[in-house]
Amino acid sequence: MIELINVTKIFPGAPSPSVDNVSFRVNQGNICVLLGPSGCGKTTILRMMNRLEEPSSGKILINSENTLKSDPSALRRSIGYVIQQTGLLPHRTVARNIALVPGLLGWPQEKINSRVDELLKLMGLDSGDIADKYPHQLSGGQMQRVGVARAMAADPPIMLMDEPFGAVDPIIRIRLQDEFLKLQQQVRKTICFVTHDINEAIKMADYLIIFNQGRLVQMGSPVEVLTSPADDFVLSLIGDDRGVKILDLTRAETLMEPADNISDDLLGSGCTVQSYQPVKLALEVMMKKNQDRVGVCRGNHLAGTLSWSDIKRHINKVSGEESEL
Amino acid sequence: MDIINFTLNNAGLVLEYTFNHLSLVLIVLLISLALWISTGLIISWHDRLAGTVISLSNILFCIPSISLFGLFMTMPGFGLGRNTAVVVLVIYAMMPLVRSVYLGVKSVDASVVDAGKGMGMTPLQILLQIRIPMAWPMIFAGMRVSIVIVTGIATMATFIGEKNLGRLIHQGITRGDSDMIITGAIIVACMALLLDFIMARIQRRVISPGLRFDT
Repeated sequence: MIELINVTKIFPGAPSPSVDNVSFRVNQGNICVLLGPSGCGKTTILRMMNRLEEPSSGKILINSENTLKSDPSALRRSIGYVIQQTGLLPHRTVARNIALVPGLLGWPQEKINSRVDELLKLMGLDSGDIADKYPHQLSGGQMQRVGVARAMAADPPIMLMDEPFGAVDPIIRIRLQDEFLKLQQQVRKTICFVTHDINEAIKMADYLIIFNQGRLVQMGSPVEVLTSPADDFVLSLIGDDRGVKILDLTRAETLMEPADNISDDLLGSGCTVQSYQPVKLALEVMMKKNQDRVGVCRGNHLAGTLSWSDIKRHINKVSGEESEL
Repeated sequence: MDIINFTLNNAGLVLEYTFNHLSLVLIVLLISLALWISTGLIISWHDRLAGTVISLSNILFCIPSISLFGLFMTMPGFGLGRNTAVVVLVIYAMMPLVRSVYLGVKSVDASVVDAGKGMGMTPLQILLQIRIPMAWPMIFAGMRVSIVIVTGIATMATFIGEKNLGRLIHQGITRGDSDMIITGAIIVACMALLLDFIMARIQRRVISPGLRFDT
């Protein structure tokens, strides 16, 4: 668990604090996304967690211990760190890049080798001879994967990720996000994730914290932030399509109504979604099948139905705008 | 012009001069590498010192070699002979070496250093495992330039008593003997090329393939 208590950072010569009296907590096993425009202080906050920057005042606790009292190098070895530019050592092979922190920790060579093999498999880098390649021979997506593998090498309980998928094209970025979320299901790390991309933030976050000009503006789950933005800044950050974004985060089962006898037809026509799938997908199915409602299934059996008017009512409710229905 | 005949007729002398020249160059290189590479590394830690040291090396490099040999010869404790020659040549190797080491170590991509630090590397580990390995291409460039410079300027040491290939050239000029001049010049050039070739081979082994973007 990471906890920040009244943390302020003032860089010498800067007119205003880069981080202004910020307090929050990142719970065990959660992905906490720090979101905001460039220069809002989110990266500085991340860099204070592993003491690449020192807070001007306030304190940062990791597992209830004040980080300022620990040895910086030892602290950093116990925390995974991924940056946008990857920071891979160009003169070392992929395998030796991944082996960096275990090497610093003085693991025996055999243990390092087996851990590297394990990580290459985990990150889908075990094909061909990627382990023996040098960073400049890799694609952007592969480099980012190696960066993540390197950060996870010594199996740190906490990972700090600074726009880890920012340097690749949108298609690869979505694939890396999906893979990472799947991986997180297994490893359950405590993750602090910095991004300026609202879509990435909503997708990755268990908990979302929004910053503007060094101040913490709002925190909460993505649905909470989308349904009740704290101010105009958050509203503009989220964009005009927050209704649609909410539908992406809402499971079909939460809006469905009980099935009636007519709805069996939906099952037959294939106009269905699974109960755990997002409402946005249900909309997509409705449009494709030219229907006003879809069946919501659990496995093969019909659990309920979801209609266009149910969705419209929900959007109006969460957007706080009066329904015309 | 008959360089081959000249060389054969004076084989003993040419060999002696060549050996003296090579031994002087090698001694100078050994001292210069140890001294100037460590100087380059030290000033990379002290930015204020770096400006002073690099300016000094530029100024020293601009002094004509013949006058520097002459000046040192007149200083107490130096006089004619090898010690003076070694000191002056080490000074000429300073600029290319110190500058290349300093710039090589300093110009390492900041994000790589940042990542190393963020992974928990100590400043010494960053220097030894990141900065120096990544600076090798530039350091080697500096070493190869300094080898060529030292081999060439060593000919001037003949004026303070070194019996090396510079003597062939100098005497050739006084006697108007072009064979003698050309023989001296060709051997000096070949020596520089040979040393440079050896450095190129060492360079291939030392520099990581990850930094050779042509492979």
